[in-house]
Amino acid sequence: MKNVLDGPADRMKCSRCLLQLVRSGRTVGQRGSLLLSPSSGQLIVQHNQQQQVLRQFRCSPASGKSQPEPVRFVNDDDTKKTKSLVTQEDLFEQVAKESRTKATFNQVIDVFTKRDIRRRGHVEFIYAALKKMPEFGVERDLTVYNKLLDVFPKEVFVPRNFIQRMFNHYPRQQECGVQVLEQMESYGIMPNIETKVLLVQIFGEKSHPIRKYQRIMYWFPRFKHTNPFPIPQPLPEDPVDLAVLSLTRIANDLDAKTTVYQLPFTDITESGEEISFPYIVGIQSPNQMELLAKHNPNRPVFVEGPFPLWLKKTCVCYYILRADPTPPEEKEEEVYDPERCFYYPLQLDLDLDRDLGDEENFDVDDLDEGPVFAMCMTSQGDQATLNQWISGLQQNNPILGRIPTLFRLDAGTRELEGVADTEAGHSHRPRPQSQREDGPPAEGPEAAVEEEEKPRRSQGMKQ
Amino acid sequence: RLIQMSLPNISRVPASRLLRSVRDLRWLLRSIAPLAVPRRALTQMGYRRPGQPREDKPPWWRVKFDLSKGLKGMKRHFQLLKEEFFAEFVGPMGKPIIEHMLEQNQVVWEFRGPHSLQEWTISCDREIGGKSEIYLKIGKNNETCLLYGTLCSDPPKDGETRYSGYCTMRAKQPLASFDRKKYHDWSSFNTLHLRIRGDGRPWMINIIAETYYTHQKDDMYSYFLYTRGGPYWQDVKIPFSKFFLAHRGRVQDDQHRLWLDKINAIGFTLGDKADGPFQLEIDFIGVCKDYAHTEDFAYEKYKRNPEV
Repeated sequence: MKNVLDGPADRMKCSRCLLQLVRSGRTVGQRGSLLLSPSSGQLIVQHNQQQQVLRQFRCSPASGKSQPEPVRFVNDDDTKKTKSLVTQEDLFEQVAKESRTKATFNQVIDVFTKRDIRRRGHVEFIYAALKKMPEFGVERDLTVYNKLLDVFPKEVFVPRNFIQRMFNHYPRQQECGVQVLEQMESYGIMPNIETKVLLVQIFGEKSHPIRKYQRIMYWFPRFKHTNPFPIPQPLPEDPVDLAVLSLTRIANDLDAKTTVYQLPFTDITESGEEISFPYIVGIQSPNQMELLAKHNPNRPVFVEGPFPLWLKKTCVCYYILRADPTPPEEKEEEVYDPERCFYYPLQLDLDLDRDLGDEENFDVDDLDEGPVFAMCMTSQGDQATLNQWISGLQQNNPILGRIPTLFRLDAGTRELEGVADTEAGHSHRPRPQSQREDGPPAEGPEAAVEEEEKPRRSQGMKQ
Repeated sequence: RLIQMSLPNISRVPASRLLRSVRDLRWLLRSIAPLAVPRRALTQMGYRRPGQPREDKPPWWRVKFDLSKGLKGMKRHFQLLKEEFFAEFVGPMGKPIIEHMLEQNQVVWEFRGPHSLQEWTISCDREIGGKSEIYLKIGKNNETCLLYGTLCSDPPKDGETRYSGYCTMRAKQPLASFDRKKYHDWSSFNTLHLRIRGDGRPWMINIIAETYYTHQKDDMYSYFLYTRGGPYWQDVKIPFSKFFLAHRGRVQDDQHRLWLDKINAIGFTLGDKADGPFQLEIDFIGVCKDYAHTEDFAYEKYKRNPEV
């Protein structure tokens, strides 16, 4: 979202806009006095002058044109002869047959603005344009919204006295303006000073669109940085980078190290088939390595997954290596060796007196769900790939060679951890590494469908 | 209403009709509401899905008269009344006064067994004709609750609704004996503490406080709940000063602090426009007093958009 006001350039644009606004106001005043002096002989001349006045009156001073451009009328005689109902959306559909880009969208708006000086049907046109924006891919482009607001004729809808202000002057146009701003708000786009100048010129101050603009400008900056786990925008395209980003996010530990065990590549076998190998990225922190080293080799560890992780609109899946919590009889107290660290004592035996009622912990039982030893992400969640991950992990954690590993690969939404007995559908990875059974992955293809959806271009509102 | 009055007709419309439209639009001045929102008088009888015919039955028709249910109900209410009566002898709210005055942490909702699910209601946009789904269940070892489902933001095709795709979970109003409303009193706390495990989606926490006027019926104090995702639990602490006032989802101009002495319910909403499955696990919801947090209210209270 690069709609930040960068200082000097925008301020100059702002002053330029405001200058033109003032200038147009003055010129209107002058020409208004011209209109008031009728004279029969010069009727034709005045008529011309009037025409000229109207032309400049309705054009946008903010667009930076010094001379009014000659109006080009689109040749729509054919459509008039057929006399069928032509909606404003047809314009878009005609253009859309070629290509749907920002350039063609701007072209459609230009065709509409140049077609009629009075901009008849502009409300319908703007509603149609708002609906068609996602198809053309311009819904996040502030310049396009400003250009769309430019379609409104200027200074016609500004209330000129208190009665007009009281009675909601031109309600339909105001509602249309509000809808443009509302679409901007729903896509999370911050309006800029050009929007404000346009709105002031079109609707005047104290109108509904200006109020909506003020509300956006008040609340959006407040909510922009509320996320304690911000996601970079745009997301990395490379799946390996995306995996590294999401793993560091869920690791919850700054010391955790990511390792890329395998990069994606396609291999051509002897028979000419192409087999694509997925990427495997794993993460493990020193705390997790310690926990794994202390794990009892008689108890199995589980590879569970895939679990969904949402990053704005992209869903990625990760797998974890965990163990069930140790039953209470096997729990041993860790004895701190005082010689491990000479800089500060690891264990303090102070009798801190707490005040009556000064209790900082909640009165709930601590959930013991078993330690998590490592996480990984891969595009193909079948047992062969995960076996590769485990063997990669084994290089740093030799104890994995002695621990039986069970695979629990059910797809669909499920809780992350549970202390139940092993479910049906898992397969066993025996202790000696040399033998490897490739049991059928439980509901593997379903998992593949849920995983790697292509990162979509739109983003959530408040991130 | 507005949209139906096309441009060429406005000049022909008599002044009385214009005045009637003004009465409609004065409500617009408070908050720019979407066109699909019906007027207040219609929603007193409960939400009527657009396109459904209006029910002509009298309100007492909805009550079911059943003898066994009535007897069980009476027994339950008298039991509750007895408990309340004797709880007052222990102290205010049933706790000894020292505990009530000095407590710094209070667990308000925790999920230990299927009975705790009775305190919650879930809802999604299926009610207005959308396609989302939501389910709530207790975790495997009776320790947590899991809220899961699918979000789908295709708006229902009834011609009125423009946006769709939401799922919510809301606590039911605590009831005393004979179905009297009971309120949560969190006036000695200033932070909301949640222990959750989400999947990276941003949720919204809504706190519904007790109000006096019917216009304030849909007032909610909201704030965002960003989940990190991943296998680790996440402790979220949100001070009550951060909650902003919203009415029917529209942030209001006149903001004021959330009053903690009468809280009706808390709710979680998911409305990010990402279609797909979601899940949120909650361990417990508690309130605590953070002495380091001295902020009264995070947003400005003065009148920012004065009337014309």
